[in-house]
Amino acid sequence: MEILGPVLVAGITTGALYALATIGLSLVWGALGMLNMAHGALLTIGGYAAFTLATLLGAPWPVAVLAPVAVGALIGAAIYLLVAQPLLARAPRSFETNVIIATFGVAIALENAVLLIFGGQPFGQSIALPGHLQAGGIFVPWQNVLIVAVVLVLMAATAFFLARTRAGRAIRATAQHREAAQLLGVPVGRVYLQVLALSGGIAGTCGLLVSSITQLSPTLGADPMLKAFIMCVVAGLGNLPGAIGAAFVLALIEAFASYGLGARWGFPLLLAIVILVLIWRPDGLFGRAAVRRL
Amino acid sequence: MTNRRALLKGSAALGGAAMMLASINREARAEGDPIPIGSALPLSGYAAADGIEFRNGLELAAEEINAAGGILGRPIELHIEDTKDMGADVVTQAIQRLIDRHEVPAIINGYNTGTNMVEMDVAADNDVIFVHYNTLISHNEKFKSDPERYYGCFQGDPPEYYYGPGCLLFLKNLIDSGQWQAPNNKIAIVPSANEYSVVIANAVKAQAEEYGFTVSLFETVPFPTNQWGPTLAKLRQDPPAAIIVTHFLPQDLAQFMVQFLTQPTNSLVYMQYGPSLPAFREIGKEAVNGVIYSTTIGCLPDEFSAGYRQKYREKFGPNSAFITGSQTYDGLWHYALSAAIAGGPGEPFDREQIEKVAAAMRRLIYRGVNGTYRCDPDGQSGYCYPTQIGDPSLGMPHQFLQHQDHTTDPRLIAPEFYATHRFVLPPWFKA
Repeated sequence: MEILGPVLVAGITTGALYALATIGLSLVWGALGMLNMAHGALLTIGGYAAFTLATLLGAPWPVAVLAPVAVGALIGAAIYLLVAQPLLARAPRSFETNVIIATFGVAIALENAVLLIFGGQPFGQSIALPGHLQAGGIFVPWQNVLIVAVVLVLMAATAFFLARTRAGRAIRATAQHREAAQLLGVPVGRVYLQVLALSGGIAGTCGLLVSSITQLSPTLGADPMLKAFIMCVVAGLGNLPGAIGAAFVLALIEAFASYGLGARWGFPLLLAIVILVLIWRPDGLFGRAAVRRL
Repeated sequence: MTNRRALLKGSAALGGAAMMLASINREARAEGDPIPIGSALPLSGYAAADGIEFRNGLELAAEEINAAGGILGRPIELHIEDTKDMGADVVTQAIQRLIDRHEVPAIINGYNTGTNMVEMDVAADNDVIFVHYNTLISHNEKFKSDPERYYGCFQGDPPEYYYGPGCLLFLKNLIDSGQWQAPNNKIAIVPSANEYSVVIANAVKAQAEEYGFTVSLFETVPFPTNQWGPTLAKLRQDPPAAIIVTHFLPQDLAQFMVQFLTQPTNSLVYMQYGPSLPAFREIGKEAVNGVIYSTTIGCLPDEFSAGYRQKYREKFGPNSAFITGSQTYDGLWHYALSAAIAGGPGEPFDREQIEKVAAAMRRLIYRGVNGTYRCDPDGQSGYCYPTQIGDPSLGMPHQFLQHQDHTTDPRLIAPEFYATHRFVLPPWFKA
């Protein structure tokens, strides 16, 4: 167990981060049918927002940890108002394709803005818990414990929000049938705005957590974005609980494959599983063609 | 703005180079038609940190060269293309654009990864000088395949191959001199999936036995990577005397140390290139203390380069990495001197003049801030001291440095000729 402990810790921590990255992506996908290619850039900006406040401006950490949420939500809302909403209004039929290209452009612009402002040299995230917990010969860094705890809380809060609040029900109704929801009086435009802001806030938080165990660089969000995309596809587009489950399972498979088969085989194995799943179930493990559920 | 008088008076770092160029230029001012010089650098993407420093090095060198009269009275004008995440297609197109749009007679690059040295074909097809720091043995192999065709292609440093025997020689010297008592003769090698890293790892693996070591683990990790848990688990299963990580991104290497120190083993940790960059210390903090790394190219911490280092940080900020910018800085200076000696830079497709410049670059032994560049005719890369050549005045030093205090610059511990400090046992070692 002493040997396998770090593998388990790596798998669970990575799974938690994948899951958090997946929530934001899956929410937007499920509600709007929009693949937000700028999701990774929102992670990056979240990490830099916390760094700016905590390290460059010397703000206390409770303030600094809220910065990624606020900045992510603001940029998420801006993406809806400036990019998604005009595309949806002018060409609703080709929206799903157009928005991929448009948000890809947003991602490039945001990443390059970070590069211009902060430069290309990576930085360490100052908001991180030092030390580690020792249990049964396994060393677990406190930061990893914190990451898993924060992710679980955020997942529970998101689930509660979607299931039990008026706004959450409106989001689910819109995701199930946009026109029907609109006929029943759901303000669809506002719902979309809320979804993108919520997704942005979650992405910002995810960026802070990812950077706390890696580093800050303009390409920080690229890998989590790719993995989140894979999880969403495996679970079935827009299926939130499925995507979270897939994130943990695939991250653990990746970690143990890296240990058992060699570090370079972890990601290829992950992709092989994705291909097999899509051959077996083209709409994903929990997906249903042309039906979106949150 | 640097002027000619101030440059000659105040710049110890430039030493003979500026004097030589000024002498060749006589009283010429850099007022003629500009000489366009091209560079294709990764200014965005994952290697942007290095790309920006490469650009800084070029800008500083160009400023100084122009202050010394340019190349025979013609100022240098830089044109830089972004190669983003690099790769053969992006880099070759960037170089071709520089030649087509600006008619650059020379390309002075830092490094670009994933190109398979195809840049050499673009340079050869257009008859331009191509200097780079890809640090690849494949440059030598390609050059040797057709020296007539690749006459204008120069690698500004020794190829990565020399990291292998150089590292083993260094470890053996530590044991032989009694500075380190290895608990066993095992070494673990951890490359990442890229040509540079794999060639070094293979060179270490191939020659380990000659130096008395056994390879207990050879684990290739993805590039880039920052989740080291599975690899560390394998290392802890059978602790080696030394862990040789040939992956080179500073942020990933810093994470390796942070994660390694939760359960360290009594192993020396040697890493490749990344620890030379400020980001390694900035991210790893005290976890980096004790780490050894080496580089076949990097600004030496000596009196000769002091002026350069000071000027670099004044111009580009206290966190700028002069150790990286020094590569293109020396590269442009070496080229400018050679072009002046040859009677001018020429232009694309002017093979006669470009060949003269190339011949001057081969002849000119250039002492820059990175040490001595002397062109090895068998591959047209720099000679490596001491692994390849025993005379420090004729080869670029393969520098071994150790982070002994993360709040200050790393200490140069080998080769002996250049060393400023002694090796110390890493703080994670248990008696």
